[in-house]
Parts: sequence; C-alpha cells; structure tokens
Amino acid sequence: MAAKTPDQMTDDLLRPLEGASGRYWTALAFFGGIVIAALCAFAWQVYGGIGVAGIRRPVFWGFYITNFVFWIGLSHAGTLISAILRLANATWRRPVTRCAEVITVFALSIGATFPVIHLGRPWLAFWLFPYPSERGIWPNIRSPLLWDFFAINTYLLGSVTFLLLPMIPDMALIRDRATGLRKKVYSVVSIGWRGTPKQWHRLESAMQIMAVAVIPVAVSVHSIVSWDFAMAPVPAWHSTIFAPYFVCGAIFSGIAALIIAMALLRKFLHLEEYLLRIHFENLGKLLLVMSLLWFYFVFAERLTIWYGNEPSEMTVFWVTQTGSFSPLFWLMVICNFVIPFPILAIKKLRTITGCVIASIGVVIGMWLERFLIIVPSLSHKYLPYSFGTYRPTWVEITITAGTFAAMALLYMLFSKTVPIISIWELKAAPQTQSGHAPALAPVGQEGAD
Amino acid sequence: MAHQWGMVIDLDRCTGCEACVVACHAENNISTVGEDQAARGRAKHWIRVERYFEGEFPDLKTKFMPVLCQQCDAAPCEPVCPTFASYHTIEGLNGQVYNRCIGTRYCANACPYNVRFFNWYNPEWEKPLNLQLNPDVSIREVGIMEKCTFCVQRIKAGEIQAAAEKRALKDGEVQPACVQSCPTKAMVFGDLSDPDSEVSRLARGNRGTKLLGELGTLPKVTYLQKDSWHGSENA
Amino acid sequence: MAATNSIYGLFPGPDAADRGMRALRAAGVAQEKILVMSSEPYEEYSFTRADHKTLMPWLATCGGIVGGTCGYLLARYTQVAYAITVGNMPRVSQFPTAIVTYELTMFGAVLTTVIALLITARLARRRPAPYDPAISHGKILIGVVDPADSARPELERSLRQAGAEQVKTTSA
Repeated sequence: MAAKTPDQMTDDLLRPLEGASGRYWTALAFFGGIVIAALCAFAWQVYGGIGVAGIRRPVFWGFYITNFVFWIGLSHAGTLISAILRLANATWRRPVTRCAEVITVFALSIGATFPVIHLGRPWLAFWLFPYPSERGIWPNIRSPLLWDFFAINTYLLGSVTFLLLPMIPDMALIRDRATGLRKKVYSVVSIGWRGTPKQWHRLESAMQIMAVAVIPVAVSVHSIVSWDFAMAPVPAWHSTIFAPYFVCGAIFSGIAALIIAMALLRKFLHLEEYLLRIHFENLGKLLLVMSLLWFYFVFAERLTIWYGNEPSEMTVFWVTQTGSFSPLFWLMVICNFVIPFPILAIKKLRTITGCVIASIGVVIGMWLERFLIIVPSLSHKYLPYSFGTYRPTWVEITITAGTFAAMALLYMLFSKTVPIISIWELKAAPQTQSGHAPALAPVGQEGAD
Repeated sequence: MAHQWGMVIDLDRCTGCEACVVACHAENNISTVGEDQAARGRAKHWIRVERYFEGEFPDLKTKFMPVLCQQCDAAPCEPVCPTFASYHTIEGLNGQVYNRCIGTRYCANACPYNVRFFNWYNPEWEKPLNLQLNPDVSIREVGIMEKCTFCVQRIKAGEIQAAAEKRALKDGEVQPACVQSCPTKAMVFGDLSDPDSEVSRLARGNRGTKLLGELGTLPKVTYLQKDSWHGSENA
Repeated sequence: MAATNSIYGLFPGPDAADRGMRALRAAGVAQEKILVMSSEPYEEYSFTRADHKTLMPWLATCGGIVGGTCGYLLARYTQVAYAITVGNMPRVSQFPTAIVTYELTMFGAVLTTVIALLITARLARRRPAPYDPAISHGKILIGVVDPADSARPELERSLRQAGAEQVKTTSA
C-alpha cells in the first residue's frame, strides 16, 4: 500500500464533504420521516395527555426512562476513547476520536430530551432550573433528578467543548479550500484560526485540561443517573452497586455504538485506508473487557440478592430469571455476553464483521438491560395486591424508534459537513520509519474486510 | 404543640364493604376513569381495600386491609420530588401541592405502599355529576400526582372553626370521609400528640402493627389485629 | 488577507522551516517579530518553541474553584431560603450539597478553559491577521512582521537560501 502524502490524506478525508449520492438522500429522508413521526407522537402525547403512553400504576416509568438511561449511557463512548486514550498517549486513537466525540454529543442531546418527554406537564420543565421564582420557591436539590440536571448540563458542556475545540483547525482547512458561501460559513466556524505556535500550544493545553476534566464528569453523570433508581426503596433498585454498574454498562454500550458507527463510516465514506482492522481489533478488545466487567457486576448483584433471600427482592429475581421477564433477561445475557465473548476473545473471529456483530448484540442487550432494571422492579414492589404489567403503546415505540433515527440522521448530516476523521490529528501522529503514521500502518494483510 | 394526625384501622372489624372508598371518591373529587383505563391500571383509589384469601375451602378465610397514604414521618416520596410538590407539614401530614407537580412520577415509584395516583388524562365528570363536586377540594388536571390527604380540607375547616370559637379541637371532632363512613367503626382518626386521644390509646395497644414498618418509613397508620398476618412487622 | 507589513517564505516541510527560522534568527530578527504558521502542531521541531508557556491549567483550576464556590453557595442558599422538611432529612443536607458543588466545579473548569483558549489564542478577533491559505496545503510559513524596508532583500535571500519555495511580501 502506497504511503499517503499529507495532501492525499486531506483530499481523502475532505472528499465526503463534496456532494452526496442518491442513496444518501434516500437514507436521510427515511430517517427524517421516522423523526417527524416521533415528533408527531410526542405532540399527540402533549395534546391528549400522557395517558396515551403505556405507563401505569405501579410501573410509572417505562420506555422513556429506559431510553433516557440508554442514550446517556451510549454517550460515554467519546469520553473513554478520546480522553482516556489521549491521556495514555495511544496513537491508534487518532482516526477514531472525532467519530466517538460526535456520538457522545448527539447521544447526550437525545438522552437529555427524555426528562422533558416523560413529564406529565412538560411545559413546566423549566421549574427544574434554579432561578428566583415569583413563587418564592427553589428546586429540591435533595432529589436525584436535580443532580441529573446539573450533571447532564456539565457533561453536555464538556463533551461539546471536547468535540468543537479540535474541530477548529479542520474548519480552517476547509475554509482555505472553499469558495463563496461555504467559505463564509467555515470562516465563521473556524473563528480566525491561523495555526501559529501560540494557537497550537493553547489548543493542546486546552485539550489536556479537557481530557483530565471530562473523565470524572462522565463517571459522575452515569453514577447520578443510576442514583435515580438506587435512592428509592424499590426491591432490586436500592443497591450500592448501581453507580459502578451503570458506569460500566455505559462504557460498554458506548464502545459498541462506536464500533458500529466506524464500520458504517468506513463502508459508506470509503475510509478503508484510515479505519483499519487494528482499530476495530483494539476497540474489540476493550469491548471484551467491558463485557466481562458487565457480567461480573450482574453476577455479583444477582448473587447478593439470591443469597440474601429477602422476599420482595426474590420476587423480582425470579420474575426475571424464570418468570414473565425471563425471555428478555436471557436474550440480554446472550446479546451482552454469550455472543460477544467468543467473537471478541478469539483472534480469528475478531474481524471487523465480527466486531460489528458483537456490537449490534451489545446495543440490543444494553437497551434490554435498562428496561429490565426498571420495569420488573416497579411491577413487583412490596405489596402483591398492587403488582401490575406494563405494555408500551405506539406512542412510546414511535418515540423510541425516533431516537435511533435521530441519531442516524444527525450523524449523517455531521459526516457531510465536518470531516469525520480529525485531519490535523492524523497528520500530526508520530511518523514510523516508512513514513506512514502508525495509526495508518497496515497490519499483515488487512485492508479487505 | 402542633397536632400530629394519625389513624388506627382495626382489621378485626373491617368487613371489606368499601364504603370508605366510595366516600373518599365523593369527598375528594376523584374522577372515575372508565372500564378500559381501569383495566390498564389507571384507576385512582386514594383508599383501597386489599383482599386476601387464606386457606382452602371449606376453611377459607378472607382478610381485608384498607390501605391509604400512611403519611410517613420519613416518607421516601418527599426527598425525591424535584419541585417540593411532596413535602412534610408541621402537623405531620405528607402534603401534596398540586400546583407544583410537573409529573415526574418519582414519588410514586418511591412509595412502597403504592398509594400515589397519577392523572393520566384530564378528569371528566359527565353532567350532572359535576354538580356533586366538593368545592373545598381542587380539581387536578392531567400530569399531576394525587393521594390521600387525611381529608386536610376537613382538618383545616375544623381548626378554623375551633379557632373562631376560641377553643381547642375536641378528639373525634375532625373525621376524614373514610372514617366517618365506616359502618363498623373500624377506623379511628385523631391527634397522636395527645396521649389521651382515642387514636393514641389504640395505637399503644398490644394489637398494633405498622405496614412495612421494617422499611423505616415511620408510617402514622396503625393496624390492629389479633393474629399477625400479611407478613407485617410490629412497630 | 494580511493587513500588516510582512515578508515571509513558504517552506515545504518542517526541516526546511527549522532552517528558515535559524536563518532569520542569525540575521538578527527578534523572536517577537517572527511569524510562524502551520497546519500541524509540529511539536518536536524547534521552530514551534515560541509561546510555549501558558497559564491555562491555573486558569482552569481557578475557574473550578469559582464554580465550586458558586455551587456550594447555590446549594446552601436555596436549602435555607426555602427551608422545608422532606423525608426526615436535615434542612441543609450534606450529600446533595456536595454533589452540586462538585458538578459546578467541573462546569466552571470547563467553561474557563474554553474562554481562556479563545482569549489567549487570540481567536475570534475583529481585526484580520496575517495569513496565507497555502498553509492548508502543508506549507509552513516562516516570516517577519514589520521588516525595515532596507532589510527586505536581505531577508528574502536568507529565506530562499534556507529552502523557501516562495517568498511573499505584504504591505498594510
């Protein structure tokens, strides 16, 4: 494989921004249609009353909170890859950072809509904001929902910053090559970047600070989301393991989403020479570690419940293990562990296709895991007379589908306006003997796959 | 010393007639939701009578247990509400402020007794049923959580009347609708801070238990029963 | 695009740029008047050494402290201003106060970093600054701001000798 000159790299990575195929527009229209349907479903819910959703007594939280936790969890992809690998000076992260950071920003934005969507009176959602109101009242900061408010906003600021700052030099690159209106737009977005050593040093410094700052924020965000459940005296919710368990699950689902996104980008934007098998292998190994860690947490939690034999907790235990939720429970175990483990552990199977299959399984499994944490426990609280079953309605299903479509839509729009691989970071990677950046060096006979 | 309202329910007297349920609906403007919605778990019964069967025919025993908001002194529903819609009053009640509720439904999840009910739609009363509404109780619109208040409107009315007459409230003068309508006098309501009130005397008796007391919620409703059942712990 | 007086050379790579920088320093040009621009950080090379020191980590820490103080005050003030009993918890609860303080600390640190970057990197300035789009094609710009007119031919010669592919001049 011929070495790529920096100019060739720039051309390759800017090519997706020039025009779009018919297939692209069709996909955009498809996803856009689903998003519009979801918006209509939400409008219907606000107009008709939240009763159009399937939630009921005692399962007062259902699909919406499942989606909330799922999407906030998915947003932990960018943090791990960008921040931790940056601090560890891992060169292979360079083509991957922006893909990951984009997932974070969009997943977080989608997840952050659910605290409003699930409200009975969403037009009053602003009461969560601490402002001096004429009613003389402040929000209750003892409520985990207020902790959510602060944590998610901080994380949103952090991850948007983490995405936008390293984008500036690339925006300047496009500004210099563009003409007309595009030039004006990219000039504004690149805010006068010139590439002086002062600017480069400041940017590097800012990124170092951000990398250190965003990791504890990400850990705190999903811990706080888990405490929405752990703070309530509901059987199988009130557990001290929830914070690390949820953080692990978040990183797990985030890496899986990243692998899927990278595979799709590689195929549709023809980035086979930039997103190599080694990247998928490395992420696949991380996914394997997270899968084992997830299994460990689930095992520890369930062992403690089973051994403790507390009646209300055991009701929830059996209903997921062998009762009405058991098909979903065992499907979750298969998707999160049984399928990914052999694929990711055996080198021969750890191909790009293998990693993608494992990742799709993990995304499904993690969505199910959020559902199975919420609904079985709420269906079976302490008083058997009040047990109840939950069935989602078309409103909840449409809105759920809408979130996946919105993610795809936003991602597609982004990859056509901003280079999805950070050009300057890739070019700035330490060079190997052959003149390749190590992030691009071929491994054996990779390429095909 | 402020009143501390509490209740005693004698399970050995309860016949399961559900007059308390009907009276509560009438007093507190609780709308019915219709057969379809009730089947989907949306019915609102601030007080409900739980019915359990014990044993096999012909030795079958039926047990009835009216369950209503326990007005817990350490209520798990209170700290989780982001807008302070659920809070503790100085008279020991768990207050629900309808205007502040934005419908997160966290309180209902946190309540171990499942005594909180949500307005999934705007309530409707077909004419002429709207003429039956109690003017002392607000109507709750869609998206608002509601629950038993120990008929706080009656408590307030009693206190205002007593203050106007420059006297203290007599024991048994204020009765919530459920207590008033019980044909077997199974329910007693009164001031727990007054050691001589009937409710205090009964609560101190050796037949008293608290529902889910082991969770540490400090409920203010004491259930009297000769033989312990239903897995409930002694207070 | 430049609105200042300058003369600069466009170098094909970082080694040539290093030579260019040394040539200019040898010609007696002060460091503050030397212009460097590139499309990559080139951190291992000496021509990017200038302007290395930054106060940003300290600023971020200060921002964090300010944020944390605001968070603590917000938590304490709101719990006291609307003092109400919930769940048998104290009026001012320590754990939630700590959580809010922590989150606003991080918020303050991140926000300060962004603002510090915009200011210290002189981004989003109103007056246009010297620039050449050739940088985006991998060329490295090494030049002098406000050279004396008499020195221009000498500088041009030094730059070409060091390996500049092109030498351009701009005037205000």
